[in-house]
Amino acid sequence: MPTTEDNMLGSLLTALTAAAERSRSAGRTTSERIRRFETEQLTLHVLAATVVFLIVLPVLIAALVSTKRAGIVTSIGDLVPGGHALSNYRRALIGLEFWRFMLNSFVMSVAVVVGKLIVSLLAALVIVYYRFPYKNAVFLFILFTLLLPVPVRFVPLYRLTTELGMGNTFFAITVPYLASATTVFILRQHFLSIPASLVETAKVDGVGPLRFLWSVLIPMSRAVLVGVSVIMFVYTWNQYLWPLVIINAESLQVAQVGLNLLRGQASTGEVAWSMVMTGSILTLLPPLALLVLFRRQLLETFTIQQK
Amino acid sequence: MSTREVFTDHLQAGVLLLPTMVVSLVFLYYPTVRAVGLSFYRASLAQGDVFVGLDNYRRLATSSEYLQSVLISVLFATCVVVGVMAVALCVSFLIHEITVGKGVYLVAVIWPYALPPAVAGLVFLFIAHPNIGIFTSYIEALGVDVNWFSHGPQAFVVVLIAAVWKQVGYNVIFMTAALGNVPESLTETAELDGVSRTQRLLRVYVPIISPTLVFLVIMNTIYGFFGTFPMVDLMTKGGPAGATNILIYDLYRTAFQFYEFGFASAKSVVLFIAVGLLMYGQFRLSDRYAYYGG
Repeated sequence: MPTTEDNMLGSLLTALTAAAERSRSAGRTTSERIRRFETEQLTLHVLAATVVFLIVLPVLIAALVSTKRAGIVTSIGDLVPGGHALSNYRRALIGLEFWRFMLNSFVMSVAVVVGKLIVSLLAALVIVYYRFPYKNAVFLFILFTLLLPVPVRFVPLYRLTTELGMGNTFFAITVPYLASATTVFILRQHFLSIPASLVETAKVDGVGPLRFLWSVLIPMSRAVLVGVSVIMFVYTWNQYLWPLVIINAESLQVAQVGLNLLRGQASTGEVAWSMVMTGSILTLLPPLALLVLFRRQLLETFTIQQK
Repeated sequence: MSTREVFTDHLQAGVLLLPTMVVSLVFLYYPTVRAVGLSFYRASLAQGDVFVGLDNYRRLATSSEYLQSVLISVLFATCVVVGVMAVALCVSFLIHEITVGKGVYLVAVIWPYALPPAVAGLVFLFIAHPNIGIFTSYIEALGVDVNWFSHGPQAFVVVLIAAVWKQVGYNVIFMTAALGNVPESLTETAELDGVSRTQRLLRVYVPIISPTLVFLVIMNTIYGFFGTFPMVDLMTKGGPAGATNILIYDLYRTAFQFYEFGFASAKSVVLFIAVGLLMYGQFRLSDRYAYYGG
């Protein structure tokens, strides 16, 4: 009867293993769960790293190419840094006068950020802290401009600006940007989250509205002001269509359209592709630096915008 | 009436509002009204303006080129919205599920928000170039003939990939914020009930963050229609054979290559109506979904 014996032995073994399993699982669940959690987290990290790699890759290639002489990379093996970084960036900035485009973009962006900030702060101050007739109509009038982005009105705006004799001027690429429904809206939302008692006290103490804005609201809104400034800077710096049509003097042109000129030169073989990538990296750096530096304030401000 | 409204000097209020009102009126409202007016004229720089009634609109309605541009735009914007949001949702969920180092991944993923669209276009033009593109030889080894300078559908796809790449980060900003606001207790309940990860994303999270998703659909649609202009201009110039000739590019050419300002104004009016409908749609939808929102 070897079979029965085998069977008995077998069932005994099964029972023993089951018991052992039970006791083990009772003692080990936590550590096993931790191990499972760790493997899962590891997988997630690998996935996330892959995603980051894919998102960064195009710009990484551009950065590598900007260090090469000709910049022709037709296989992955070509992706090694060249020794021409310094000479390329010097040539782009000075030889091809890209510094001028960068400077124009910079002046335009700073002017728009500062101007918009002042104009929008005043408007938000009135909308939150003043009582006056037709207030809702005024607020709607400002919000309605969300329906009028540049692409919808750049054709008549071009006519208007040239008729005013302002075509091809610094005025044309700054002043039309100064009214901002988004900024007024974000500031309004933020002011509404500041306790009403503050303004009541200020009023009792005889503090005027501008003084209240300057010494109470602005200090209390630092993060949001930094956040909207970054949003406005990125928006202005990245403008392409409007400068393209309204500016035709190269000395006044902005970096985005300057890239277009570089592209044209590369297509006809006047400059190497590495120059185009050098210009691209240069154009990317200012807004990217602001995003990295002020990411906390930026993220905070975005959560207000959506409300 | 809010207790915040403590200042009552109407003149002061008017003066402080003046800059915003004047700039809005002169550079936003007036040009829009002007576009409507101009759309009834044949306006060219050389011959002056001639009133033509509804001719420009009639021309629009019967132009097969314009109809193609409308279809291309709608198709392109739809692909942008779906592509961007599908990718961004997965990426945001991934970051949301990670416990250590979230902040680093977040910045490493959202930075293309700051990426100039012109740079996105140029970099893709370069790496996907039919002759000198770095991946061209590998893709051709798979049996695909890379020739998007002359092949419409390929051009459409290349511009689309560049457009999606640039826009995912912006979506991740809002999606991770929304996912971060989902109550912890819901996640725990779902986990105790043995709900799988994907189910948790699709059945629990997506409905809760739907107000954010509605907002993003609108922002991405507007981006697909307008924000991708630099990419089209730098990569394909609307071609080949109109395959990437989205409405904004078509409008740009009408005005600044053919100098037909009246016809271009009619096209602007159509775009304005499209934006208006979109915003109205968002308004209505977010009203309906506001119930879920916190």
